[in-house]
Amino acid sequence: MASSRSPKSQLPPAEIADRLRAQFGEDVLGTEEVHGHAVVTVAPGRYQEMARFLRDDLDLAFDYFDFLSGVDYRPKEAGFEVVTHLYSTRHNHHVRLKVKCAADDPRCPSLHEIWPGANWHERETWELLGIEFDGHPHLVKLVLPEQFEGNPLRKDFALMTREAKPWPGEVEGEEIEE
Amino acid sequence: MGVIDKIPVPQPMKFILNWGRRYSLWVMNFGLACCAIEFIAVTDPKHDFIRLGVIPFAHGPRQADLLVVAGTVTDKMAPALKRVYDQMPEPKYVISFGSCSNCGGPYWDSYSVTKGVDQMIPVDVYVPGCPPRPEALLHGIIRLQEKIAGEDIREKWSGKLTQPQEPATTG
Repeated sequence: MASSRSPKSQLPPAEIADRLRAQFGEDVLGTEEVHGHAVVTVAPGRYQEMARFLRDDLDLAFDYFDFLSGVDYRPKEAGFEVVTHLYSTRHNHHVRLKVKCAADDPRCPSLHEIWPGANWHERETWELLGIEFDGHPHLVKLVLPEQFEGNPLRKDFALMTREAKPWPGEVEGEEIEE
Repeated sequence: MGVIDKIPVPQPMKFILNWGRRYSLWVMNFGLACCAIEFIAVTDPKHDFIRLGVIPFAHGPRQADLLVVAGTVTDKMAPALKRVYDQMPEPKYVISFGSCSNCGGPYWDSYSVTKGVDQMIPVDVYVPGCPPRPEALLHGIIRLQEKIAGEDIREKWSGKLTQPQEPATTG
């Protein structure tokens, strides 16, 4: 145990990506290294399975659920993405899982069964971006007021104040004239 | 209110009552964001608003005369603020401290931030800034005390003035 806690047990990002490729093959849709972390895009069908593998494999041992959030890539790209940050307290390495979701009716499996800490993160992502988490036990509003309607972090969410007074700066997606 | 309601208050007595009230303001700090840190700085020895007769850390809203809304009020927090204000006994005063509580400030287009606490509760003094310096709050308190000095105590205690009114601003 003492040797596994030494810095030598930390896996480099490329090694983490290679192990996931070896285990999941074609279902690893892409890997990259960003800020010294491995970033792995996974097929939605094997997302939960990969999360379980990352937690239970002794060399990976991602025992700490760090963060989960969503990204709205419309209109440049189609759909949403759920990003999960994981950390191993034993080996001191990170990984980020990405899952693509459809633009209409975005869905993603829940990680609540694997790390209970995912519960609130998924509720927040659900209320802010409208991504459904299949298998989540209690998908109700977390931080928004109960009577709030809509998903405010979606790009097509209409801000009342901006209807009255347009944003004075640049708008993302618009071409900048030179 | 007894005798004060029945007879016109003589000017010297009005002066003494207002003088007593304006130099004994128990303050309720509704601190929500970075402005609350500036508020705490005003309680510290360097700025020290106790020398103006403002007494910090009222035990609760029911013991407070002055409510300082320092920070970003969200739509979810707004009912709690209204409830604190409603618990305060008359006569009561409100200072809106910082751009967020004045008008939403940098969150002017946010989906969750209330665009000004004066939508819910009447504000006596607005202190602008993001966050305002402690001196700005001291100035706001002095302006509030000037306002209290000019008040008709009968009118104030009647509770009629808690409707939104023309506010004073710090320079």
